[in-house]
Amino acid sequence: MRWFGFGFNAFGQICVHNELSKDEGRDTVSDVKIMNPTELHRNVDKSVCGRNKCLKTSQIRASWSRRVWLHVDGDSCVCLAGFGGTSVVDSSGCTDTVLSETHLTLAFSDRIESWDLQKKEKTPAWSMEIQPPTDTSGPPLSLPLVPGGYIATKPPFYRSLSPHLKAKSLALGAEHAILLSATGAVYTWGLGSHGQLGHGGLTSEEEPRAVEALWGMPMKHVVTGGWHCACISDGADLYIWGWNESGQLGLPSQSLRKGHKEESSQQAAADCQSASINPGGKPLEGEKDKEVFISIQAFPALLDISPSCEIRTVSCGSRHTAAVTATGDLYTWGWGEYGQLGHKNLISTDEPQCVDFFKEQKLYVVDVVCGPWNTFTAVGEEEVKLS
Amino acid sequence: MAVLWSKLSAVLPPNEEEFPLQFSDKVESSVVSVLQQSRRQLYSDATSTDRTLTAQIILDLSWEKLNTGTWRDVDKEWRRVYSYGCLFKVAALCREHPSADEILQGIRTCDMGLLMGAAIMDNVLQVLVQILQEEVRKSTKEEEKRLKTERPRVPVIKDEQAVPRIKCPSLESFKSDYLLPLRPVILEATADHWPAFNEHPWSVEYLRSVAGCRTVPVEVGSRYTDEEWSQTLLTVNEFIDQYVLNRVSASSLTVGYLAQHQLFDQIPELKEDIRIPDYCCLGDGDEDDITVNQNFLVQVVGSKYIRLYSPEDTDKLYPHQSSLLHNTSQVEVENPDTERFPEFARAPYLECVLQPGDVLFIPVQHWHYIRSLELSFSVSFWWS
Repeated sequence: MRWFGFGFNAFGQICVHNELSKDEGRDTVSDVKIMNPTELHRNVDKSVCGRNKCLKTSQIRASWSRRVWLHVDGDSCVCLAGFGGTSVVDSSGCTDTVLSETHLTLAFSDRIESWDLQKKEKTPAWSMEIQPPTDTSGPPLSLPLVPGGYIATKPPFYRSLSPHLKAKSLALGAEHAILLSATGAVYTWGLGSHGQLGHGGLTSEEEPRAVEALWGMPMKHVVTGGWHCACISDGADLYIWGWNESGQLGLPSQSLRKGHKEESSQQAAADCQSASINPGGKPLEGEKDKEVFISIQAFPALLDISPSCEIRTVSCGSRHTAAVTATGDLYTWGWGEYGQLGHKNLISTDEPQCVDFFKEQKLYVVDVVCGPWNTFTAVGEEEVKLS
Repeated sequence: MAVLWSKLSAVLPPNEEEFPLQFSDKVESSVVSVLQQSRRQLYSDATSTDRTLTAQIILDLSWEKLNTGTWRDVDKEWRRVYSYGCLFKVAALCREHPSADEILQGIRTCDMGLLMGAAIMDNVLQVLVQILQEEVRKSTKEEEKRLKTERPRVPVIKDEQAVPRIKCPSLESFKSDYLLPLRPVILEATADHWPAFNEHPWSVEYLRSVAGCRTVPVEVGSRYTDEEWSQTLLTVNEFIDQYVLNRVSASSLTVGYLAQHQLFDQIPELKEDIRIPDYCCLGDGDEDDITVNQNFLVQVVGSKYIRLYSPEDTDKLYPHQSSLLHNTSQVEVENPDTERFPEFARAPYLECVLQPGDVLFIPVQHWHYIRSLELSFSVSFWWS
């Protein structure tokens, strides 16, 4: 499995800068904003992490200033890169990781540990023991879920969850959370000011509340971005909701269009209500109609990534979204000013676009993981199935 | 233009060592490292592109923090970080022979820091924006102005329901007759001495000359309960062109309102043109919560139709249930739906047409309905 990264790289979390320019404190645009998908080098220091090829699965997680790479292959190996340099964490037996701006959380078969990345301490800031699963029938819980609850991004780390939710997977945004239950139902809670809870309003929820609009449609995968959520149904459809200020929902975004207009227009006053040219080439309805823009989508919306296709997996950054289709293509949309959309430019877009790089290189995309301002993509053989 | 940079840098610390960058633990060390990078670039010969890039990283990250959670809960540290981002961006923009457009961008950046950030380094952004504004004023020419001339319907005020008018009452009589019993009143001839009526009469031209290139928040839409109501940021010039002079065709369909904003902190020149009414000294101090304050609404230019309802009649005013709008009535005051809101017709009220020079006392928690009858400027004083 090979990984490629693009987007925000100010800390070398995708690829390390030219050493010379780093010393002089010079950050050139091409170092900070990686516009072209770039392959990640797995062993920065061969003597420490002697992996040349990761035959089985590997996992990447990214925070704003770092990236962590877990090689699950016999003796597992956790490699950290970005702010604070590259290092290998003592982690044999690690099965799962979660990375926030302040903490790295590792899951082992018998314990969970959270390490404070801002302090160089010899022991984890927090840890808990877990019972190794007695039955091996079901898949192990993936972080941040742990038996009985989940691990939050800031103290108190352990938060309990009601067993009746039957939590199967959980994703945490800065101020909201989305949970997928074993029945395929979706629950959200936290702040709702940007419609990110999907209940149709802007009010917050203290406790997990079922997203009723999805009732009766079992979901198999849920993710969050900064102010939006996405999920994939058993039928491989993509549903999305929340804030659309940068087009991260793939719906027409007025602030995005206005921003593009201001950059290209010569005049001071912008007429932003007219039926303007639709870059997607889709015909506008009616004559001189106002184009309908959506800044907040408070109920889940079905997003059709044309040409219509099954969605295999999805991930969200702060203000962008990336999806992998069953045919091995990667589509991205939303905020693109750091190159995180991978379209070889720094343009944000509210229309899902295929990342041509992988098609051109005849690479089959199998997974995508977004950091807040960047995107990591795994390519592999068509036969490889995601666990 | 090197002269401009020497004026700007004179306001900044002389070297890296004396440039303060202190933050609480809330700001992660990775973020602090980027701030330190910007500080380093300020005093080195980095390229303008590099400086702008680093400043933008700070702005983009702190913008995300400012939009996380409710505004009230945003940690002041992130607002400070945002202001530093603005500072470094302005320095990058205006360093090497900035064009007129770059100076305007610099002013806008300062305004963004003043609007959304928190004061840093003795409010350095306020100082920088004055320097930049001065630069712009030197090169502005006079323009021909055209004002809206149509006069919409002016309501006839019935005597029994009129807000009483009184000329310059003593502090004691205002307190005993109106403040303590919480009765609305219009104080006439109370603001006559303001420079805004005398040496610097306020007008569209005056506002342009004093603050034309400054960025301010504008509410767009007739009612803030409308679906199409929104807020945007415009320069005062853009606001005047689009919403006052109707020069931009699409905007004549909508109404723009420069409101709810600490304009006088942002543009101190305008503050010099007004005076705090003496009667405000009758309050006992605490101004934190705007909803428990008394209000003086001073009309400076144009006129407004105003209706006031007592908090005792709240039950007849059908406020919205949600927490966001619980202090807003659902009723369209001048065109009430009598089927949905039958009690509204029985709610007693006082009304007036507020003219230039009038000072309206709106007692605490009184419901108010306001419709501008023509181009209107008012100044609001909250006190308690």
